[in-house]
Amino acid sequence: MASALKHTLEELLRVRRLQAEDPPLRGQDRRLSPLPTGVSVVDDLLGGGLPRGQVSEVHGPPSAGRTSLVLALASRITRAGALVGWVDPRDRFDPGTAAGAGLDPARLLWLRGRAGPPRALAEAVAATGTLLGSGLFDFVVLDLAGIPAVEIQRLPGATWIRLQRMIESTPTALVLVGDAHVAHGPGGACLALTRGSARWSGPPGPGRLLRGLCSELRAGLHARHPVTFERMAL
Amino acid sequence: MYGGIHSPGPLPTPDALVDLARAFTPRVEASGPTPVLLDLQGLGRVWPSPRALGEALLEAARVRRLEPRIALAGSRVAALLVSQGREGLTVLAPGEEAAALAPLPLSLLELDPEREATLRGWGLRTLGDLAALPATGLAERLGPDAPRLRRLARGEDDAPLVATPRPESFACTLELDWPVDGLEPLSFILARVLEPLCASLVRRGRRAASLALELGLVDGSAHRRALHPAAPSADPRTWRTLLLLDLETHPPRDAIQALTLRAEPTPARTVQFSLLDPAQPSPERLAETMARLHEWTSSGRGGAPVLLDTHRPGAFVMGSFAPGPFTGDGALPGPPRIGLRVFRPPRPAQVSLREGLPVFVSAGSVRGPVLDRAGPWRASGDWWDVAWSREEWDVALAVGVYRIFRDRLREAWFVEGELD
Repeated sequence: MASALKHTLEELLRVRRLQAEDPPLRGQDRRLSPLPTGVSVVDDLLGGGLPRGQVSEVHGPPSAGRTSLVLALASRITRAGALVGWVDPRDRFDPGTAAGAGLDPARLLWLRGRAGPPRALAEAVAATGTLLGSGLFDFVVLDLAGIPAVEIQRLPGATWIRLQRMIESTPTALVLVGDAHVAHGPGGACLALTRGSARWSGPPGPGRLLRGLCSELRAGLHARHPVTFERMAL
Repeated sequence: MYGGIHSPGPLPTPDALVDLARAFTPRVEASGPTPVLLDLQGLGRVWPSPRALGEALLEAARVRRLEPRIALAGSRVAALLVSQGREGLTVLAPGEEAAALAPLPLSLLELDPEREATLRGWGLRTLGDLAALPATGLAERLGPDAPRLRRLARGEDDAPLVATPRPESFACTLELDWPVDGLEPLSFILARVLEPLCASLVRRGRRAASLALELGLVDGSAHRRALHPAAPSADPRTWRTLLLLDLETHPPRDAIQALTLRAEPTPARTVQFSLLDPAQPSPERLAETMARLHEWTSSGRGGAPVLLDTHRPGAFVMGSFAPGPFTGDGALPGPPRIGLRVFRPPRPAQVSLREGLPVFVSAGSVRGPVLDRAGPWRASGDWWDVAWSREEWDVALAVGVYRIFRDRLREAWFVEGELD
């Protein structure tokens, strides 16, 4: 009898999603709970997920999985009903594949940069500050991949410190996506990706498909033990 | 003492009788343009007699080019019915109500047709006929509502006067002693105007759905702006920020001499928060954030992407960012998927083929021999509109994995994006 009641109660909790994502309680300090990416190897590496209130970074060469990793986290957040801001100075974001990865486009604020103007990056950083200052977003992405390092270095030296100071008292996580290390906060994560191999559906020939991509992922600039980050084709 | 004003003819404006009544007393009951009921209690100290008051009402009506019928009586129902049934001015002394109502037609009670037909079938024609019937017998035959009709026919009130509130106007004007130039001094002035305006909105349980700002400039012209945020608000700080952000992008051309703010009121919304769903963003803060990002959103570079129902690759439009209530099931997404970092527009490429297979790609930094590939995958559509037809390949180069395609209509190769 008691086990049947317990089972019924657990079923009700599951249906009402009380056990799904630990809904925040009134007065709870959300900064203490990290944002899980949903990728088990990454969450294990980070001790639960990306830290809130910190500037983190994901960097690596093209096709190393930077976008996939950030999309996985953004999808998880929008699926839970929270909001994501994506500042994209190079206009490289593809909403079609993002929606295919599970992202809810209605809960994404996408700011697309203009190609050409010299102040495009500065405008993007200012917009990132606006998103962080609003307190509306759980997760903000500033996509710096494909921007030459010289252009990034031309930003004022205090840019990243200023952004870190803006969010350290908020439950927002900011992630910089780049080709190489840019900056991260004192408690922020630094995920370095290295391009790995591609998986194909069969031998070369007609009808072949790209099945997935593998990369090596390290947490920290000098970490020695990488984990494998795999992602599947849509 | 109550007064009834009724105009059988057309009125110059729907509020003509109400305005006339409000010139004498603030307590006015009006369910429509006519008739209008006035609460005249206490006006005996201003006018020596009820007749003098009635004549003053008639005179004020003449000045306004109205020709109403006016009745003053001790009960509100008598004042209303007599004003509809008698020409000119009628002043009833206390106790004369029933006698004055007796000759008036039964139709003044605005009975439903079935009941009026019943009463006419009994031979009743006037209010006096109805008032003369016994209450018990009426209730037995017409139901519990019938004695109330009898009381009305005798001029006895069944409810107190319920004053109709004045139309709400939320506007505030400030004439400045010295003109101000620039947004910083203006922000203090806006705060002075917005705080009482928002306080009056809150007192009446209202929010401002929109705000119209009119700045009187030194050169005599007016600078007008109107704000329509996504959500109504009565927070002066939010409105001040929105106004200043708007004026930053649309500054007045001269110093400001006066300002007027008009709010369009809307009932305050009641939100039932959920224990189980995530907290929704504050509409005020969302409106403020979107105003700060006006430069992005106004040029179509900021918002929420809306995917189009088509197979055309990369088909989407930018919608406004207005996340509604969360309706998802909270299901977690599956394993991570490959993201595509697109080139907009697709980057033209030189592709070398061997036996129909791409072996070398050159498109700026995307350059090198093809190490592995998957394809071709052909797709086409919109032949009835702007047709497109393409042949897609996923190619692995030394510098990354890319999606390239051959535009079959233009016979040209492009790099669509990087698979990341």
